[in-house]
Amino acid sequence: MLIPSFPSSLRQILICAAFAIRSAGHWTGALVLSPMLAGSASAAEPLNVVFTCHSATTNSFWQAVKLGFDDACTKVGAKGQFIFVQTEGSIEQQVANMQAAVAAKPDALITSLVDNNAFVGVLKDAGEKGITVISSNVDATAGPELGLREAFIGQNFIPAGTTLGKRLSALFPKEGPVRVLVGVSAPGQNWAEQRAQGVMNGLEAFKKANPDRQVTIEKIDSGTDLAIVSDRVGAYLNAHPDTTAYFDMGFWHAGVAKVLKDRNVPPGKVLLGGFDLVPQVLEMMKAGYIQIQIDQQPYEQGFMPVMEVYLKKNIGLAPADIDTGEAVITPDQVDSIMALSKQGKR
Amino acid sequence: MSRPVQPTTGGAVHSQRGGSAIRRLFRIYLEKPELAGVALLLLLTFVFEIRSNGVFLSVENLRGILGLLPEVGLVSIGVTVLMICGEFDLSVGSMFALMPVSVALLTNAGVPFIPAMLLGLLIAALVGLANGFITLTFNIPSFITTLGMLFIVRSLTVVITGGFPPLLASELPVGVFTQFVGPGGILRASFIWFAVIALIVGAMLGGSNFGNWIHATGGFVDAAAAMGVPVRGVKMASFILCAVLAGFAGTIQVFRLGAPLPSIGDGLELQAVAAAVIGGTALTGGVGTVLGAIVGALLNRVIDNGLVLSRVDANWFKFAIGGLTIFAVVANSWLRQTARRIKVEL
Repeated sequence: MLIPSFPSSLRQILICAAFAIRSAGHWTGALVLSPMLAGSASAAEPLNVVFTCHSATTNSFWQAVKLGFDDACTKVGAKGQFIFVQTEGSIEQQVANMQAAVAAKPDALITSLVDNNAFVGVLKDAGEKGITVISSNVDATAGPELGLREAFIGQNFIPAGTTLGKRLSALFPKEGPVRVLVGVSAPGQNWAEQRAQGVMNGLEAFKKANPDRQVTIEKIDSGTDLAIVSDRVGAYLNAHPDTTAYFDMGFWHAGVAKVLKDRNVPPGKVLLGGFDLVPQVLEMMKAGYIQIQIDQQPYEQGFMPVMEVYLKKNIGLAPADIDTGEAVITPDQVDSIMALSKQGKR
Repeated sequence: MSRPVQPTTGGAVHSQRGGSAIRRLFRIYLEKPELAGVALLLLLTFVFEIRSNGVFLSVENLRGILGLLPEVGLVSIGVTVLMICGEFDLSVGSMFALMPVSVALLTNAGVPFIPAMLLGLLIAALVGLANGFITLTFNIPSFITTLGMLFIVRSLTVVITGGFPPLLASELPVGVFTQFVGPGGILRASFIWFAVIALIVGAMLGGSNFGNWIHATGGFVDAAAAMGVPVRGVKMASFILCAVLAGFAGTIQVFRLGAPLPSIGDGLELQAVAAAVIGGTALTGGVGTVLGAIVGALLNRVIDNGLVLSRVDANWFKFAIGGLTIFAVVANSWLRQTARRIKVEL
């Protein structure tokens, strides 16, 4: 590996430079590298890159990842294929898709690793065939898979959850008892459990900082369907009208915000926070019902792996980790983000 | 007309009258298998009301349950009618998303609300027509046809949205479906639509030639055909009715929640079939009622809502739902068998 521990910011500058050179195409006044880059990409066979994930086409978040991936492939002239599963979260379908993809010997396989063991066999097979493997969005938390992929590009869920927990708890009333509901959208799945763990860490920090206050924290299986989440959390709020805040592990609290609005509960009485951006969440932020949202920039999670594959194949740079961040979105940023969100880029 | 005087004591007369009343009650019960579901519903309501310290039957909570009921109830009614005439529709969950997404896109494109709704219903009818045409023309199980259609329709939903949920235009007159009505605003207008549709379909099933044809077609298709029942037309109409009700139900939900997500209704087909069966519809066809479908759907919602109020742990939530659903069906079956046995003994 040429630069195994390259700082990510410098790395992104390099990637952008390479991209600018590639986009310029025939711009001969470019850096010394430019003839090599442009030449190799146009003369050689186009890069063949496959992206496999554990989600279905109906998941808007993953459509943003796909958009980033497709755009990146277009920009570097790569042949890209993005493969969804039929059933949301189906690991066995994802493994089957990966096996099929590896059998066709692409230059690179980009994949989410939502389980620490399920993908070991197919990743080993890919390694033996000389296929570059990069994980994106979700990484293994431990075990052999970590040694079978060259880099991870995505969000670290536990710190992201902790950030949400801390930021929303900073908005809690300054006195009186606090009651918090944490909706674990999909109990048993890494992303939901780790985010919930992070949120709990943030709330524990609040508890420690306020030892004399009564803090009640409850967790429920909130689900991943807008109507179901609305109904379940709505029922909880009926039973506990004193609820201070609800944390969702995805964007389904947009439905809860609608329930509060329909019940004429004033914005901010029940604080709402969650992850990922869809237009409906931004609308409810604007209406004042959602206070904090954590964005992990899915477009970047699709775009950057392709750039790293491109750099590896054309320059020999080693893929490196990129933290796509835990961007904290607040209502004052909504207008500027809305346009990008509608395009699926944010 | 004079009645012969019976040489019996007053007590015996009373006992005989009592026996006759019980006999009549059980005759009614046997004629209406969905009443076992009603009994269970009452039992669960009682249990959840106590466990939730009176919140379960509060106006706010009933609002939540009755807000979602028309949506799942309409789908269950359509599936029940189709099951009575001996066919299945597994594509209802996908249709539940396609129509509202189509209506949202049409209105965003400037089509007025009513024509957009009519076009949406037409799309639903065409999907139902396709289900019926393929099943009947090629003589294949509707289970397979509609399983294929489940994927096709869901895919179309993703394709027309580009994978990203469109925003619902704010000026649409959705209040005709979503505004609160009734005493204390306990119901939404969608409940009125639901009740009217249920009454019409119920009257059609129970008191019209067409209803008899549906039962006859599902009970013994060859005999029905021999008697001159237009079985092909009956099935085709049932397929169309089922798809239209599913699309309409999804549209109501989207108007209520304000979010035309391409993922809504995922897995709804199983819920609808379960509701039909819990409500006494035979998987083999020929038997079933609209009231049964509604009771089944309501039972499903009551269990979900009641468990939230009972504060079931997140990791045990699905276990509890599964356990109570099996209990509901077993109890239903036991009540029915017991009623039959008592009748024979009488």
